Amino acid sequence: MAGTALKRLMAEYKLCFLCTGPANEENFFEWEALIMGPQDTCFEGGVFPAVLSFPSDYPLSPPKMRFTCDMFHPNIYPDGRVCISILHAPGDDPMGYESSAERWSPVQSVEKILLSVVSMLAEPNDESGANVDASKMWREDREQFYKLAQKIVRKSLGL
Amino acid sequence: MPLLFLERFPWPSLKTYTALSVALLAGSIFSAYTTVTDPGFRALETEETPAPPEVDLEHLNNDLSNTELATTVLWYLVTDSLFVWVLVNTFCCSLMLIAKMIQYVVFGPLRVSEKQHLKDKFWNFIFYKFIFIFGVLNVQTVEEVVMWCLWFSALVFLHLMVQLCKDRFEYLSFSPSTPMSNHVRVICLLVSLLLDCCGLAVVCGVLGASYGMHTLSFMAAECLLVTVRTGHVIMRYSIHLWDLKHPGTWESKGTYVYYTDFIMELAMLFLDLVHHIHMLLFGNIWLSMASLVIFMQLRYLFHEVQRRVRRHKNYLRVINNMEARFGIATAEELAANDDDCAICWDTMLTARKLPCGHLFHKCVCVCVCVCLCGSCLRSWLEQDTSCPTCRTSLNINGDGGQARSQPQVGGLEDNIGPVGAAADARPHINQHNHFFHFDGDDAHHQHLGHCSSQQFPAHQIQEMFPQVPSYLVMQDLQLTRSVEVTTDNILEGRIQVPFPTQRGPTQGSAAPDEQEGPSAAAEQGASEPDNMEVRGGRFSKSAEERQKMLRQRKEEMLQEARRFVHCLEFSTSKEEDTALELDLTVLRRRTMAAAAERRLQNLQDPAP
Repeated sequence: MAGTALKRLMAEYKLCFLCTGPANEENFFEWEALIMGPQDTCFEGGVFPAVLSFPSDYPLSPPKMRFTCDMFHPNIYPDGRVCISILHAPGDDPMGYESSAERWSPVQSVEKILLSVVSMLAEPNDESGANVDASKMWREDREQFYKLAQKIVRKSLGL
Repeated sequence: MPLLFLERFPWPSLKTYTALSVALLAGSIFSAYTTVTDPGFRALETEETPAPPEVDLEHLNNDLSNTELATTVLWYLVTDSLFVWVLVNTFCCSLMLIAKMIQYVVFGPLRVSEKQHLKDKFWNFIFYKFIFIFGVLNVQTVEEVVMWCLWFSALVFLHLMVQLCKDRFEYLSFSPSTPMSNHVRVICLLVSLLLDCCGLAVVCGVLGASYGMHTLSFMAAECLLVTVRTGHVIMRYSIHLWDLKHPGTWESKGTYVYYTDFIMELAMLFLDLVHHIHMLLFGNIWLSMASLVIFMQLRYLFHEVQRRVRRHKNYLRVINNMEARFGIATAEELAANDDDCAICWDTMLTARKLPCGHLFHKCVCVCVCVCLCGSCLRSWLEQDTSCPTCRTSLNINGDGGQARSQPQVGGLEDNIGPVGAAADARPHINQHNHFFHFDGDDAHHQHLGHCSSQQFPAHQIQEMFPQVPSYLVMQDLQLTRSVEVTTDNILEGRIQVPFPTQRGPTQGSAAPDEQEGPSAAAEQGASEPDNMEVRGGRFSKSAEERQKMLRQRKEEMLQEARRFVHCLEFSTSKEEDTALELDLTVLRRRTMAAAAERRLQNLQDPAP
């Protein structure tokens, strides 16, 4: 079913206004994206690169998303994978708390995923800690978290 | 060193292998030649074989023509138990060289996953066939082993080539801009492989028949398997190419693909299953390592068949249910809701309608009738039985009990009947031309698992979209009563955003190298309005250009962010410098406005 997936990805690429797209069009199923740290949060100003890999039955199954820069966030695994309910298929529930209403569905899109990720950066959900250290710090030592986040922002900009 | 050994077993490269094989062949031919031309050999042979009568040795040696000599040498090589292996090795080597040549001509450099597949397949094949020859057949004579080796080396060659074609086909179908010549080359290779398979079948018929029924059926099964595989890839490929040539959506493509896959996969599994059962029965030794391996394989195959059949049953059920329950949207409905399929984003020629009702602010309202094109809906329903838009369970699971226990869906369906898909069924959507909205699972609050979305007040939306005036947000919120829908309305451009007035001349005094603050998340693509023309043509036809543009946009964004952070630091270090701070917010607004403008323009002038 790669044909449907390809057509849909092309359509999304055409219409998507965020900074994302296949880095190499020989493989349309690997996209790169730049995520902007949301305003008035500790990640403000940062530009975080991420990779989206789409399954061949997209949009029936969700893509996977991984930050390729250093990230310190309660909902991002230390290896950069993003843990967010929109990226989970209705069947699987790694954290065991999400209702199926907020999971992936084929009417979602890359744009929506990226927007959710941005709002996730703004408001971490420490109940589903993908990075336990970050969750703990977010809960208990907000100031330290902000400092670390600022460091990550500067690093992401190569400053 | 040991680590290196672990990483890659030090197999000789193809060059060394070829050189070695050639050397071996030359050596054995030479040694055979010297033996054959040795007068003692002739005497020995004539002694052993009674065929040639008393011939004058002298006369024979002189008159031995070249062809005769060659056949004698060859015959000697074949009959010698050691040299025959050199010949087998030569055969394998030449096959490898042919494979290498094909790879060079048709595929070019292989990708990592293709290499991995080839390697896995190769070793699997080798081990299985080893078990087959020595565990199942229990061949005794060298001659038989040699025959099987030749047969399997030809077979593994075909299998690997087909696998490569399949992988490459999948990869090529991932890219929209593959030149036709690539497709043609792969197709040509596939067709010639199919012809090879036919040749192999002839060989199998000729050779197998003389060795008895069992040998014939073993060979035939192997031969058929590879033929079916080749045929499968060819059929999928032609469907794909037909689809590429075909303008617009080919609605029944999904069905064709499904049935090709189903029939071919089932045929392969069935053949393999029969082949393995035959092996098990033929071996007649139930307690051996070989039968253990065959049992394992049989178990796996059996499960695969079961799974496939189950999937097919599910498919049929989904089709039946879909046809029975979700009526085809009428032409008026389609026209009234001029929109694309929510799953594939393609225009719909025919569509099916889902009856969905779900809760909104504690009052049930029948809200969406999703129109989906048939094939998309089918593939979704195969894996999930809820409406993709609103997640209402559609109750199409065949379990009658469950369906009966929730009769309200049927009721809703009845209710929706007279109302139809008309606009009044969905009062909360800001009517534009969109058929869908993403209620219940808006992207922005998805991760906030437990937060009820109704708790987000208007200022939340304001935070997300500072460019949208608050009165508009409030207005839309009152209309939709849902943050998600409003957010979506903004995102989809259904709320007309007037351009902020501070844009332009009011800031004319700003320095020419003004720093543009990064915009809000939603408008990341935004930067200088001057780039509008460039961006307008962003979706160019050429892939390279698109890639270049993406890179350029990324670079721009990074630069901007750097400038912004510098600016931020500067302003925080000099607290009194509030003017700069002001500048920043103004700049931010301006980028926002530019982005909004662009979005608007995009809506008015949809991408080609």
